[in-house]
Parts: sequence; structure tokens; C-alpha cells
Amino acid sequence: MADSHGGASLPSGPDAKKRRVSYFYEPTIGDYYYGQGHPMKPHRIRMAHNLIVHYGLHRRMEINRPFPAASDDIRLFHSDDYVDFLASVSPETLGEHTFSRHLKRFNVGEDCPVFDGLFGFCQASAGGSIGAAVKLNRGDADIALNWAGGLHHAKKSEASGFCYVNDIVLGILELLKVHRRVLYVDIDVHHGDGVEEAFYTTDRVMTVSFHKFGDFFPGTGHIRDTGVGPGKNYALNVPLNDGMDDENFRGLFRPIIQKVMEVYQPDAVVLQCGADSLSGDRLGCFNLSVKGHADCLRFLRSFNVPLMVLGGGGYTIRNVARCWCYETAVAVGVEPDNKLPYNEYYEYFGPDYTLHIEPCNMENLNSLKDMEKIRNTLLEQISRLPHAPSVPFQTTPPTTEVPEEVEEDIDRRPKHRIWNGEKYDSDPDEDEDEKPRNRSFGPVSVSLPVAKTEMRDVKDEMEE
Amino acid sequence: MAGWSILTNGSGSDSAENTGAHQGNGVLSGGGDSVEEAGVTVDNGSDSGGHNVKVRRFFDKVLSVFLKAMGEKGVFRPIPAVVDYRKPVDLFKLFWVVREKGGYDSVSKKRLWALVAKESGLGVGASTAGVKLVYLKYLSELEQWLREKRFKDQTSGNGNFRLLSLELESEFRDLFSDRFDWEGKNGGLVQLECDKNGGGTGDCVRKLGLTDKKDLGLRKCKSDNGENAGKNDRHGDDHLLVLNSSFDKKDKDCKRKRESLSGMLKWLSEMARHSDDPSIGIIARPSKLNEHEDKEFWIQAMRAREVLLQKRQVDPNNEESLLQKKLKMHPSMYEDNNAVNRQSIERSRCSARLPSVVKPRYCSCCNPCSSTPTKLMSPQKVELENEPKEEAAVEVDLPALVKEVCPSEDESIQKHVSVGPLSQADVPEWTGVVSESDSKWLGTRVWPLECGERKVPIETDTIGKGRPEFCDCPVPGSVECVRFHIAEARMKLKLELGLVFYYWKFDRMGEEISLQWTAEEEKRFKDIVRSSLHFGNRKVRRFPRKTRENLVSYYFNVFLVQKRSYQNRVTPIKVDSDDDESEFGMVGDRFGNNAVNVSGSNFQPCIQNKQCIDVE
Repeated sequence: MADSHGGASLPSGPDAKKRRVSYFYEPTIGDYYYGQGHPMKPHRIRMAHNLIVHYGLHRRMEINRPFPAASDDIRLFHSDDYVDFLASVSPETLGEHTFSRHLKRFNVGEDCPVFDGLFGFCQASAGGSIGAAVKLNRGDADIALNWAGGLHHAKKSEASGFCYVNDIVLGILELLKVHRRVLYVDIDVHHGDGVEEAFYTTDRVMTVSFHKFGDFFPGTGHIRDTGVGPGKNYALNVPLNDGMDDENFRGLFRPIIQKVMEVYQPDAVVLQCGADSLSGDRLGCFNLSVKGHADCLRFLRSFNVPLMVLGGGGYTIRNVARCWCYETAVAVGVEPDNKLPYNEYYEYFGPDYTLHIEPCNMENLNSLKDMEKIRNTLLEQISRLPHAPSVPFQTTPPTTEVPEEVEEDIDRRPKHRIWNGEKYDSDPDEDEDEKPRNRSFGPVSVSLPVAKTEMRDVKDEMEE
Repeated sequence: MAGWSILTNGSGSDSAENTGAHQGNGVLSGGGDSVEEAGVTVDNGSDSGGHNVKVRRFFDKVLSVFLKAMGEKGVFRPIPAVVDYRKPVDLFKLFWVVREKGGYDSVSKKRLWALVAKESGLGVGASTAGVKLVYLKYLSELEQWLREKRFKDQTSGNGNFRLLSLELESEFRDLFSDRFDWEGKNGGLVQLECDKNGGGTGDCVRKLGLTDKKDLGLRKCKSDNGENAGKNDRHGDDHLLVLNSSFDKKDKDCKRKRESLSGMLKWLSEMARHSDDPSIGIIARPSKLNEHEDKEFWIQAMRAREVLLQKRQVDPNNEESLLQKKLKMHPSMYEDNNAVNRQSIERSRCSARLPSVVKPRYCSCCNPCSSTPTKLMSPQKVELENEPKEEAAVEVDLPALVKEVCPSEDESIQKHVSVGPLSQADVPEWTGVVSESDSKWLGTRVWPLECGERKVPIETDTIGKGRPEFCDCPVPGSVECVRFHIAEARMKLKLELGLVFYYWKFDRMGEEISLQWTAEEEKRFKDIVRSSLHFGNRKVRRFPRKTRENLVSYYFNVFLVQKRSYQNRVTPIKVDSDDDESEFGMVGDRFGNNAVNVSGSNFQPCIQNKQCIDVE
């Protein structure tokens, strides 16, 4: 594999271009509280935001407070009675007969407790992801972030695994209004079952989930679950074992995603960045470093396709904040110092107070042979896909058709379509080590298909 | 990191999830289920006269013998047992209270653990999971033993208690064994109920306490560094997982809820819990039921078990899994291309993880060639032995067995993705027509500031800059130093962000919010957090001036920061901001004073922390 520590210098792959980044943050998100001892802590999102701002990364982004999604918006995916229930239940009314009989049906109460402000939390999370989608739809941004999103377990009429409203599905549905095909990539340690299920029968959304499989929540995500009907082969599952490390992960992620991008040619990509796949997670069992985790984002970013980046799991909150802060930096194209700036939550990051974490020396139960077998199985599955399905040989409506009345200048730069291959004004403090790189991506070659060159003119950039 | 290595042990990884969330929800959901779920009548008779000294002494005696026997097996249980890391548990009282309520299963089923904790003198605040864990570790096998005694000839001594004189034994039994819900009764009910529901399929919605056991099994796994205990626990755990994967296809299972049933399931879970108990065969006790169907049922279960055992024996990975207690090969690699065989492979995957240490015991039960005394075997077992040994063809046989045992279940064990209008999102066909998105979704733009909003260009650090290498503070790295720099950073940020500083609620981040708290309130908060951490009504009521948000905010912004501040300087090896439950040695004080006051220890970066290795 290529150097697994390549994360240290930013420009990766054939890009090194600045992206217009939009970031959604709900200032009250950190005050939601799932309950005593519950591992899911929305406070981590506030910690991440805090780090992001102290690193000055906000200066490279447009930051919005999300518009809370209303019941009707959430109903675009979820069933009516479930949404009504979520909107009206509260810890105080929990005992009432009307609610108590629903608890089981909607799987609310154990992993997914009813807490104060539950619906507000769901609204903020969903509103952020839908907002991110709209940003991409309008062409206002190249990358849209919502760390409060990524709640991938929620089902149509059922809560699951700390997730109530599936903001990802809602976000993707919004993206599908403008984009023909959307790729969903999930690097949470748990299988992205909610999203997979929601789009199991369609070829307009391809789901790829990398997760721990075997005796692990939620139990789905078998390598042979590949979709049904028109969606056959459009669900990809990468089952992994304990102790997954950076190098192995990259050895699967890059070739598989490379091939998916080549064959499926998505018009937009959604990346769920669940941080429970990091080393030392309270619930996870992988051994990824922050850099290894962020490498997934770095790689997807290099394709110059509109990209939505969401949060997800992550239960060792200091590492979650580290990870999402670093990934924000990757999104905006900055390599932050390892020594954390002083910030309100500085003590959480002791005793070393650094941004990055060292993987531990746990045993990696994924043998190279297994990895190779998985890789080959999946590459073979991908190769069974027709190239660019769902109305092939027809170009996406150029994003320039989208009305541009909102001319929001980020850094007062002229607006560019990043995927036109146009050059940006170089920014002095970035891109300085930008140089053509011809990285090896494992067994798959770097070259992208020449089709749809208006989307990603890699060649031009390579020659820079 | 100690905690990490424990976590990653075998299947322990999921356990944190389970237990963590479990603790979190005990308060919220406990008692939510109606009593009708408990299929067994409660024995409410009061028996307060039993707490006399003699009985207690007697109990202690038996327990010590018992624990010693366990110690010989390599399972060490320290005395006194503690819950919540510090409260000693009166084992006698605990045993007595549980006994009064009908035993472990009954208590679990009726969710009486909180009550048990209270009645056994641990106070309301004690974590129910902890109490349950203590019971499971110290006393459940004792209970189990008593149950067996009830139905068995006394001559067939259990290995654990050969040390006990017969006299002592019978006396003890007389004293203690009268209150438990007996397995025969219990199992019978299960059977009946399942018969009613058409053969014990997923129809009867009845909790069997299985979930709790699973939790505990897992928790043990995690908490117990002791090798042997870990093995046993994992063993049990895996059995449950086998069960779960085979029975809960239709279940709405979350990380710990498993509603599945049938007497068999219960029996198997029981077996899993006491996996190393050679007398396990008697648990199902079908002879008491005198029903042919039950016999059949039981035989099938035994066959299934035997198959599992053989599976384990033939597993080529066995040696490795013995050594490492982990699966070397990737699970999915056991797949072959025959989808029909999948469930058997699933099983093999699970069973491959079973530590084979316990194997001999198992085999002694099932294998007729073994030299184990046959007195442990029930008549059914003899019958079983007479069955032709077709089970050798494991791969083919097992699915059929499973199907028989669980006839109405879909033949596939693995969880599949449900398909239908109730599962999928409505994805419209691509028409090429781009529909407009509502611009409300853009939300409120907060940054960058509108032109003119910013008065003067402010000098800021470069983007991505960390803290400087050195500082001029008298004691770099001290609490004062860090606080000073944080305050400095906040000032800078306030200048740069202007009103956005408040919009993003930076004014409500960090230790500064403690300024809105009186010293008295802070002290009370810390005291309460020490005892139990729940920002429910109870706690809010004790702070009339604070809302729930205030408390949550104080917890994350002040309390945890100070706790971590202490950990970083005093116990840097053990660092955990996410364990709400653990004890901490914070000697905190108000903001502005020394939150951490360890004289002379400022910035000794590596003081070994040995105090917390064993907790989790």
C-alpha cells in the first residue's frame, strides 16, 4: 500500500484544491443529554466545534445554524405514527397509556431512551443534513458538514442504536432531487443498516458500509447482502473484524471506493464519519488513528464530487472531537498542528493535549488473506454493475443551471465550480506543498474514466 | 490503556455498549413492563424470622467452601464483594432477599433488582446492574446448586460441594432452598405457554430475563480480568449469541433487548450461564413433565448441543482459539457459496469462538465414551446415546435440527434486510427535472460575518495553529498556567467572533460557567454526582435555581473538566472522560481556586496510576 501516513501532508490524490465548505452547527446541540451513563453524548459535537473554532478553521467555511426539520419533513422517510410519537413524547408523559403502548413498537426506551428535548435534537440533526444537501444541490458548496447528523440506524418506523430520525436518508432524498445517483459511504464501526435498508431496492443510491461484523450490533451487513430488485448489487458490505488498523482499512477502502467511483459515477457522495471506528472507542473495536479515519474523507474529497460529510457514532468523546475537528481541517484543506490550541475543553485532551491519537497495540484479527478475499469478492460485485446506471449516457443537468441568486462568497473568492477543473487562486498558507502526485491506490489504477469529464477533470490537475 | 485491552477481549466489545446503555436506561425504563410478563407466581410470604445469627454463620461457612471450590477452578472471587466500586455487599442478606423473591430468574424477570438492592441494605443509589452482577458472580451458582439438590438424589454430589459434609449440606438445603421458583414449575409454565402459542415460536411475547443474563455475561467479560472467569463468561455469552442469532430474526432487537422465547431457549441460556457445570443436563428436566413432546423437544436440544460440541472439536481453528480466545480467521471466510448452508456456518463461527477449556466437561456430559460417572445422566440422555450418531455430518444436519426445534422460523438465521413499503424510502424515478429546494434549509448564516459587521481587522493566528511550544508561566503545565492560556484564547476569540461568540454559546463553555454557581451549590453537586448521576427530576429538585440544562452543562463544562484536570496530573495512565460511573479522586474547589492541589506534583508527567486498573 502507499504510505499509510500520507495524511501528514495535505494535498492528496489528484486534487489539492480548495473546496467551498459549508458547515452546519446548532449551538444548543451540546445541551441534549441522553441520560445517566448513556454512551451517546451530544456534548461531543460541541467539543468538536470548539476545537474547530480555536484552530481558526471557521475562517475557511461558511457556517450556518440549521433550520429545524418539521414533522412533515421527517415524514418524507419516516412513518406518520412514528413521527407523531417522537414529536409528542417526553419523559414526563412516558408513563401515559397512549405512549407506553408505543414504546415497544417503536423500540424506544432502552438503547433509545426518551429524554428531554428528544424531538428538538432530531430536528436539529435532520435539519443540518437536509441543509447540507440543499447547499450541495444549489452548488453553493463543494463539501457540506453536519457533525450532528449521521444517525444511520434509525428505521422507517423504529428507533435503533441511539438513532431516532435518520437524517442521512432525509439528506439523501433531498440530494436525489438534483442528483441522479448518490453514493453513501459509512465508516462507522457499526453497520449502516438504516440507510442500507431505506435504499435497498433502488439503484439511485449505492450504499457502502465498512463495519465490524460478527457478534456485533446491529447484526446486519453480511457481505452477501447486496440489494434486492433494481437495487441488486447496489448495496456493498465490507465485514471486518476486531483490531482493524489504518493500513488494512486503507487497503480495502481505497480500491473499493475507487472502483465504485469509476463504475457507479455518483453525482454526489455522502460520507458517514462515525468515530467509533477509532482506536480506544468505548464501544468500538477497531484500531484506527485519527489520520487513518480521516484518510477516507481525504480520498473521497479527491474525486471532486459534491460531498456531504456527517457524524455518527463515537463514544470516547475526546477522540470524537479530535477526529471531527481534523476531518473538518481536511475538508477545508488545512493541516493543523498536532499540539492543540488552548480551548475550553483543553483538559479533556490530556495528558498529552495533542490532536492525534496513537493506535494501541491490540491484535489485528483481520488477516491479509481475509482482506484480499473480501476485496476481491467486492470488486467482483462492483464489476457486475452496469456502468453508470439509472438512465445512462445522459449528463447531469449542469449545476450551473441552478439559480445562483445567493452569491455567498467564501473568503471573497470568485465562485468556481470545483469540478470544472478551473484553477483557484492559490492560497498562501495552503497548497504550498501541492505537487503532482501519482499515488498508488493498491491494485486499482489511479486513472479515472474519461466519461463525464466535466465533472472531474483529473488530468488537468495532475499536470499542475 | 487498560480499559481498552479489556474491551477488546473477545466479544467484550459489544458489552460496553450494552452495559453502558443499560445503566443509562435502568432508571428510565425500569419497571415499564407489566407484571403479567412474569409467568411464575411470586412467593410473597414473609420470612423475616430467618435472619438469625446461626443462619448467617452457616451461610458464611457454606459460601466460603463454595468460593474455595471456585477458586480451585481458577475463578477467584474476592471477599468482601463490592458494588459500585466501594460499597461492600452483605452476601448473606443479598442471597436471602433474592431467595425470598424467588431466585435470580424471578428477580430478573420481574425487574426487582432495584428493590433487592434496597432491601439488602445497599441503599437506593446502588447500581442495580452491580448488585445483579455480584449475585451472579458470587451466589447464582449456589442458588443453582440448591435447585438441583431439590430435584436430585442427594447422593449425586456436585463437584463443588464434595467438600461439604452431607449433614451440613442437608441442613443448609433445608434452610435455604424453600423459596426459589423451581425450575420444574418454571420450565413447565414455559412449555405450556409455548404450546399454547403453537410450538414455542416467536409468538409468545414474554421476557425470559435472557437479555439481562446476556448483559451480565458480557459485563463480566469486560470487567473480569481473571482469565478463567473470562473464558467461562465468554462461553456463556457465545451460547446466547448463538441463540439470539437463531431465534431473533423477527425480533426487534436492539443492543440488549432480546425477546425470544420457548422453554428451550431458556434452558439453553441457563446452560450457557452455567456452562461449566457438569450437572447441566438436568436443567431441562423433562422427566418431570411427562410429556412425549417435551421429550422430543429435549432430545432435539441435546442433539443440537452435541452437534455444537462436535463442531467445536472438528474446528481446525480450535488450537488457535484455545490459545488466543479469538478467532483468527475472518468470519466471512467460513462462507461457502451455498447460501442454504449459511446458518450452519454462522453457528460454526460462533462456536469456533468458544474457548475449548470447558470442552472436556461438556463432552463428559454427552460423550458416552467418557469416563464420567453416568449417574449424572438422565434417562433421556441414555436414549440419546442410543441414537445413531448421524450428527457427525454436522454441516448438513444442523439446519434441519434448527428447523425442527424452531419450526415456524424462517430457515435463515442471519438477519436480513427487510424489504417492503414499510422499510424502504420512496425514491422517485429520475426524470431529469430538477426540483427546487426550499431555501429555508440554508438555515441562518452565522459565519462569515457580513461586511461591516467587523469593525477592525483583527490580527489572528494562522489557521490550524496549535498552542505555542513554550510559555512564560512560572509553572508551565500547571492548572493556573492552563487556565490563564485558556482565558487568553477566549479573549482573542471574543474579539474575532464578536457577537457570534455568544451566538455559538462560547460564553457557556468551559469552567467559567461555574461562576454562576455558589460554592455551596457546587459542593452539593459533587456530592450528588458521587452517589448517583442522573439529572432527572430528583436532582433538579435539589437545585431550585437550576434547570436541567444548567446541571448538564455544569457536568460537562466544569465537573468533567476538573475531574480530567486531576486525572491528567495525578493519574495520567487512567484517563477516562466517558465513564460516568467510576469513582474519581478529585479534590476540586471553586473556579479561581486551585481545582487540583497536588503539592509538588505539578507536571510530573508520569505518575503510575495503579488505583483504578481493576475498575471498569
